[in-house]
Amino acid sequence: MSLLEVNNLSVIYEPRGAEPTYAVRNASFSLERGEFVGLVGESGSGKSTLGFAVTRLAKAPARISEGTILFDGRDIASMDEEELRKQRQGGFAMVLQSGMNALNPVRSIRKHFGDIFAAHDHVPTSKRLARAYDLVEKVELPRDVLDRFPGELSGGMRQRVSIALALSLEPQLMVFDEPTTALDVLVQHAVMGTIRELQKSENFTALLISHDLGVVLESTSRVMVMSEGVIVEDGTSQQILHAPQHEYTQMLLGHYADPRAEVVEVPGLVVRGLTISSTGLGSALDAVSPKTGEVTAAPSAPARRRPGRPEVAAIVVDDVTKVYPRPRRGSDPVTAVDHVSFTLDQGQSMALVGASGSGKSTIAKLITGVERPTSGTILFGETRVDTLRGKGLRGLRQEVQMVFQDPYSALNPLHTVEYALMRPVLNHTGLRGAAARTRVLELLDTVGLTPVEQFAAKLPHQLSGGQRQRVVIARALACDPQVIIADEPVSMLDVSLRAGVLALLDGLRVTFGVSMLYITHDLLSARLVTDQIMVLNQGRVVESGQTAQVLRFPQDPYTMELLEAIPQPHRAGAGR
Amino acid sequence: MWYPLRKLGLLLLTAWAAITLNFLLPRLMPGTPADAAIAKLAQNGPVDPATRAAIEAQLGVPTGDVWSQYVQYLGNVSRLDFGVSYTFFPQSVSSLVLNALPWTLVMVGLVTIVAFVLGTLLGVLAAWKRGTWLDTLPTLGGTFTSAFPYFWTALLLVFFLGYTLKWFPTSGAYGLEATPNLSLAFIGDALGHAWLPAVTILVTSVGGWILGMRNNMINTLGDDYVTFAEANGLRTHTVAIKYAARNAILPNLTGFGLALGGVVGGSLLVEQVFNYPGVGYLLFNAVTNQDFPLMQALFLMITISILLANFLVDILYGLLDPRTRR
Repeated sequence: MSLLEVNNLSVIYEPRGAEPTYAVRNASFSLERGEFVGLVGESGSGKSTLGFAVTRLAKAPARISEGTILFDGRDIASMDEEELRKQRQGGFAMVLQSGMNALNPVRSIRKHFGDIFAAHDHVPTSKRLARAYDLVEKVELPRDVLDRFPGELSGGMRQRVSIALALSLEPQLMVFDEPTTALDVLVQHAVMGTIRELQKSENFTALLISHDLGVVLESTSRVMVMSEGVIVEDGTSQQILHAPQHEYTQMLLGHYADPRAEVVEVPGLVVRGLTISSTGLGSALDAVSPKTGEVTAAPSAPARRRPGRPEVAAIVVDDVTKVYPRPRRGSDPVTAVDHVSFTLDQGQSMALVGASGSGKSTIAKLITGVERPTSGTILFGETRVDTLRGKGLRGLRQEVQMVFQDPYSALNPLHTVEYALMRPVLNHTGLRGAAARTRVLELLDTVGLTPVEQFAAKLPHQLSGGQRQRVVIARALACDPQVIIADEPVSMLDVSLRAGVLALLDGLRVTFGVSMLYITHDLLSARLVTDQIMVLNQGRVVESGQTAQVLRFPQDPYTMELLEAIPQPHRAGAGR
Repeated sequence: MWYPLRKLGLLLLTAWAAITLNFLLPRLMPGTPADAAIAKLAQNGPVDPATRAAIEAQLGVPTGDVWSQYVQYLGNVSRLDFGVSYTFFPQSVSSLVLNALPWTLVMVGLVTIVAFVLGTLLGVLAAWKRGTWLDTLPTLGGTFTSAFPYFWTALLLVFFLGYTLKWFPTSGAYGLEATPNLSLAFIGDALGHAWLPAVTILVTSVGGWILGMRNNMINTLGDDYVTFAEANGLRTHTVAIKYAARNAILPNLTGFGLALGGVVGGSLLVEQVFNYPGVGYLLFNAVTNQDFPLMQALFLMITISILLANFLVDILYGLLDPRTRR
């Protein structure tokens, strides 16, 4: 008998005053004991809803409308609350998406364990402390975390604590809902490693829900793919990787590539062409002689030089250091940026990569004049950025524009797209009336939001994430800037939307001669849209050079570690 | 240990600043109290030197430089010597204030605390039973009663409960014949008099606490740690109290601190309507009679009580929220 048997399960969302929608439709699958299964899909595919349904955590307005969930032979879809609560010990446990917030901020970790033991009484009082020690050690944490409060732990540590808490229930089934999504790349890699080891040693059945097919293929032996509430494919990891049947799976797989490969190709994205087409990417990227490992050809298509601008480097950062004062009593001052120098030419694109806390966002703040360097100089063209004030800063903002990570919060939800774009046009270009409106529509056309008239009238909530990010990019372009600083512009977007936005950013560089500083932890996208790269670790540049060269033949151990942390579908099954 | 000491230091510093301001402000005005009184007399004809000397002797003329006055003032404040009231001559300001203070503290203070506790409990219940009558009734009722103007509620209660039904006396803190003492009979009498103003304050303020707590609680119920606690099968009351309500109450503490601080100064309207001999009543009299020594002492006391209430809430925060202890 299977551990979990889901038959014809449908989950319906019934919000008040709106049409009900099906989040999950007629899902049927089963999980065998000891199996590690992945559940993959993009946002809105219903994968989390399904995960919540099988652990009976779905709350109103979501409701299981039909079907059965047999766990160990008993139907949990129709269990009452108290029976369900008891079932959670020795039954099914869940680790949540944002595990960082899964702990009660006002309770110590010790009390979290205590609450669970008190609720189920499955461990005798005298052995509870020893069990808690045992559990935190299993997730590779020191014993003294028990005396800490959640706010004193890092995101990775908190996620490990919530895994240990889930383990304390001695579950037969563990559901991991995007367990590492909110974590930093390197931490993500380490936590996934721990999950894999625990699954082997504790031998629980695991369901790993993720949007990242790479992560899932790397860990699981079987994968289910979900799209629009329906499980469209269910097969072994090898099958999914090598012979995907459904076009949706094929599309997801198509967006994976190894940034270390000689030819990197992602559908819909040509990095070095004047127009967006779907061929000829890899060959144009770089020509490397395999024997010497040297990059021989200039990688990118030449960018158009901008008329009427002096022929000097766009940005010169010279020996810049930024030290923040002590964050709190008793700690040391933080050196966010440590003697960094680089030059960004007109029409050039450079990637700043590193884990969080590496100083990459601080560099963006220094260049935009939001923060001032502690020492060193920053030149924009012939202007000193680090000493600018008032009017000079306003002038700088016309030339240096930001594209932010989260397109969902970068637009005012109360204003139309036209309004969002009209503001910078009025403020920075001096255009008025019909001319200003023409410019707004032109911008929409540039970022590919056509028909422009229709998009101009829309409100942010009527747009998809990718469309919103295009509006944000159009807004950055409104005052015809020389430099665009893109801070993780695609990390919040679904895989299928990423390539389009990246292609747009790259096209801007080529057609308008805009320079781009591309801040990311995602080395694949860095490889696709930049020709220079700087790898930062704790504020210091550990490696820099041509992107293809650095990523293919990394010299610094930190760069290698970053590359190693990228989920690789092709490693599927390697560890089992 | 650091955190309470730091907060205590802050309290002492702000209290000192308030006392100093209280000293400086009247001195920034031109003239002395005696000048003002003499100027008033002068409107009716010339003031002879003997009258002038008498008035100056009564009201006092500043001597010495500002520093020595300041030191003297600090000394007086530490001895609670705020001079003699103009209106209630020859009673001293401090005796007036000390007589009024217990009435306000006990009646208004207690009701404020009761309103907070009751409102919070009802709010927790409403959020936990969202959508049932346990939610609708307190939420709608709270919205309704908190929209009543204070004095209107007071008049309604006075009319129905006091005048028509004659259940409670309608004014004062105790019967006309009684004198304050600690006998059971007097305490019973005082309690009877306290009912109407207390109920009025409760009715108008409890709704705000219910709504605030309910909304906070609904937010925390959607938080991941509550979902995770449920996923771990914790007992229902543990999830409701130790996880959801425990976090939901934190933002409300600030409001509670403000309400506590406002007890001394904010009871003016209540005490006026019910002729209740508390601090607010005293303040009203002081203002209408231009009784400057009394006003100065009352303003200082109101400031200090707000500071004290904030200090208490800070300490409470430190106990309840580990994140503030850093």
